[in-house]
Amino acid sequence: MQLKKRFRAGCAALVCCLAGVLALGGCSLLGDDSGGPARSGAGAAPHSGASADPAIPYDVTPLLKPEKKYFGAAVPGAPNSMKNVDVYTKTVGKQPNLVEYYAGWGDGFDATGVRNAWAEGALTLMSWEPFDTPVADIAAGRSDEYIEEYATAVRRLNLPVVIDFADEFNGHWEKWGTNHVTPAQYVAAWRHIHRTFVDAGATNVIWAWSPNIVNPVRNVRLEPYYPGDAYVDWVGLIGYFTAGEDNAFDSVFGPTRDQIRTFTKKPVLLLETAAMPGERRRADIRNLFAGVEADDDMLGFVWFDHKKRADWRLEASPLALKEFKRLAADDRFGFDVRKPS
Amino acid sequence: MTSRPEYYTPQPYDPYAEDEPQGGWFNSEGYVPRRPQAHDAHEGYVPRQPQAYDAHEGYVPRQPQVYDVPEGYDYDPRTYPYQQLDDQPTFALRTVTQPAEPAEPGYHVPDTPEVGWDMAASRRRAWVSRAVLLFVLAVQAVLSLRLSNTAFQDEALYLAAGHAELQHLLHGTPLPVDYAAYFSGSPQLYPVLAAVIDGRFGLTGARLLSLAFMLGTTTLLYSFTRRLFNERAALAGAALFAVVQSTVVMGYFATYDAAAVFLLALATWIVVRTDRAPVGAVLLAAPVAVLAVGVKYAAGLYLPTIVVLALLTGWPHKGGRAFWRMLLLALGIGALLAAGMYATDLLAGVRQTTTDRDHGSDGAAFLLQRSAEWGGLMFLAAAGGAISYVRRSRMNESPLAQRLGNPGWRWRALLGLVLCGTALLAPAYQVHLGTVVSLFKHVGFGLLFAAPMAGVGVTRLIGAHFRYPQLGIMLWTATLCLGISQADWRFGVWPDSSRMIQVIDSHVNREGHYLASTPEVPVYYLREKTSQRQWQGAFAMEYTDKKGRHHSGDAGYRAAVRDGEYDLIVLDGLTNPRVDAVVADAVTGNPHYRLLADLPFRNSSGTGHYRIWTKAS
Repeated sequence: MQLKKRFRAGCAALVCCLAGVLALGGCSLLGDDSGGPARSGAGAAPHSGASADPAIPYDVTPLLKPEKKYFGAAVPGAPNSMKNVDVYTKTVGKQPNLVEYYAGWGDGFDATGVRNAWAEGALTLMSWEPFDTPVADIAAGRSDEYIEEYATAVRRLNLPVVIDFADEFNGHWEKWGTNHVTPAQYVAAWRHIHRTFVDAGATNVIWAWSPNIVNPVRNVRLEPYYPGDAYVDWVGLIGYFTAGEDNAFDSVFGPTRDQIRTFTKKPVLLLETAAMPGERRRADIRNLFAGVEADDDMLGFVWFDHKKRADWRLEASPLALKEFKRLAADDRFGFDVRKPS
Repeated sequence: MTSRPEYYTPQPYDPYAEDEPQGGWFNSEGYVPRRPQAHDAHEGYVPRQPQAYDAHEGYVPRQPQVYDVPEGYDYDPRTYPYQQLDDQPTFALRTVTQPAEPAEPGYHVPDTPEVGWDMAASRRRAWVSRAVLLFVLAVQAVLSLRLSNTAFQDEALYLAAGHAELQHLLHGTPLPVDYAAYFSGSPQLYPVLAAVIDGRFGLTGARLLSLAFMLGTTTLLYSFTRRLFNERAALAGAALFAVVQSTVVMGYFATYDAAAVFLLALATWIVVRTDRAPVGAVLLAAPVAVLAVGVKYAAGLYLPTIVVLALLTGWPHKGGRAFWRMLLLALGIGALLAAGMYATDLLAGVRQTTTDRDHGSDGAAFLLQRSAEWGGLMFLAAAGGAISYVRRSRMNESPLAQRLGNPGWRWRALLGLVLCGTALLAPAYQVHLGTVVSLFKHVGFGLLFAAPMAGVGVTRLIGAHFRYPQLGIMLWTATLCLGISQADWRFGVWPDSSRMIQVIDSHVNREGHYLASTPEVPVYYLREKTSQRQWQGAFAMEYTDKKGRHHSGDAGYRAAVRDGEYDLIVLDGLTNPRVDAVVADAVTGNPHYRLLADLPFRNSSGTGHYRIWTKAS
């Protein structure tokens, strides 16, 4: 009897305790949803590769100077539609891991395109060209709203993107070229854009500063146009193997590279290159591969596979294409950017 | 008639007794007589009659009276056909014999005690109060366990130091820094214990150790308050102590505070528990008290209270000999402290962190306001309890309690003063130092001593016989609500560092040199990859550049960042915002650094950002 009573009292006490514990525990269960975005993995980008947690900014450091070379291509319509990239892949026998496209200042950020390219193991390089907005205005902060919106979109995507702004600035042929923009304006605009992106936390951008090779414009010094190592990750050279010029690799890119090395040690990407169709194309391609391969500071190249002013497409010269295919098969070219190391 | 009060005592009744006047007051026609007369009264079945019922023993039914007849609107003569107003009673037809004197009953009605319950402790009472205590402990545990965040910098520091000390003890690995020189407790005591637990069960394990200490503290508090007063005060005191911010937070905070407060509670418990034991028994408390001071130097502030308690608790039982008790304890503690200081080199650390601590810039009004927010309600309860206890010592409803020998009002006043005054020590000392750092924990230390008086206060508020339970419930609920919200706030003061750690994890190695606002946190979490020596904090800077020029303070940070001294820079903008701004400014436009990540976080004071730069190759 005594035991039974005690048992009942014990049970009652236990029930009281449990009720209290549950009541208080309820608070914590309800309060737990403030655990921060670290735990809310529902919106994770399906292709975010190494960073499964969308709240962790993509760490682009391993992509800044990978062991292997970038094997890039600029094909019409890509990366928004990867159809032409797939055709290119079939043509050259290797999937490009860097896809370049051109966007006008004022265009929206093509997050879908970047995602499409990423899904196939390729990084997107966006060449941002201020056709209708003076560079001085950008530097003065007149486009800030646009830049901030853009930067936020880039950050939200949380995939690496390469951006170059106002490429070929050292040429007189562009609207943002030497005839219209001073080096100080150019540098101010670049730094301003960079700072806005950094303030927005868009650390997933690789900044490629992209002069044209100095060969056609030898009187324009590059250094005044350089925004500084704090604002640049890559030097992106734009240069083509053309007819009527000495087409040794060092003749095409050497003078520019040498000038650049006087003020920065940032690695160099051939951000836009191709060879004029014709008999020499095969040799040009050989020079290109050899030159990129030989220089440890050369990150790789992007083949400009457009028919624009000339037919730069590889398919235009079957023999050269065959050589390109052979050289591209080298394991040192191309890698899956989702697994850089 | 007896001298006992005149009330009715039921007596046995034998309905089959021979002289039972069957149908005594029913007339032959069987209806109820209208007005029974006095001579109707006889042994047995007696109609209710105010004049006569005292004189008779036996069952007294309630006799329906004339006035019982419903006379209201529903009175209907058809329902009460016999109830004629002029009915006359009919008397029994046979003569009633005079009943014999009733025999002495074969049983004994005991004298009714003065009070209907026993004041003395009983097993049932012990179990009931233990069950309530269990509930209090469960509440405390739940409140502590619902807190969550990554390691606070102090926790990280002590755990990392513990791991280093452990390596030093076991394998002779040299210590990265001399922890003893700047720790506010011995680095060989709590940190080592916590590191052992941390190594096995992680941060949660170390925090659960603190929870165990705090639950132990509440239990000891209950036990010595019960000894000083009674269960009710003990439960009330424990219930209040269990829900204040300091208890809830210290119960899930891997710092040596929980261990120190537990040891103080244990020393106090020994002092109270040995009140009737031989004088020498009090010496048992000395090593415990000294250990508490070793674990955390600031615990020394509470030793005088324990020594005075040795006198006060001994006084009612020993009188003057209680002075010896006090003296013995003081000497014991003093001797052990002196021995400890002689044997170790902790004095420098004590000076730097506790006694000669740099004076801060927090104002007295601010500190007092904070102290009031964090412990004011409980302190008020304690002060009320102390005043009420001085005015009236009786702690039990039983009238017998009045006749117990109670200590005099001076003793009671002194006890109240000592216990409540102790709660004021920490705020007063921190006002002297002008710093709010650790104040919430030290308020909790003081509340441990004020808790018994707060318990008395609550029992007095509720009143005898639980007259106003709602007041006690209100007080406790208010304390609980404040405790929960303050503890949540406290645990959200520092940012969740998990994502920051995840980001920098792949950027640290054994060779690098790193700058961080709170280096303790990455040092703890990445202890497998880096050592404390590789990390520079945001509070003191000495830098010598490659040309041999020496820079210190802000200039040091600027020069070091300019030279690209650090492979990684992690700023939180919280710990030392001024230095963070200096560093951030030096990083802007710096060719050595690239922003690796900008991690927004939400903390108690709003939002912030971790900004992490890595050295560009």
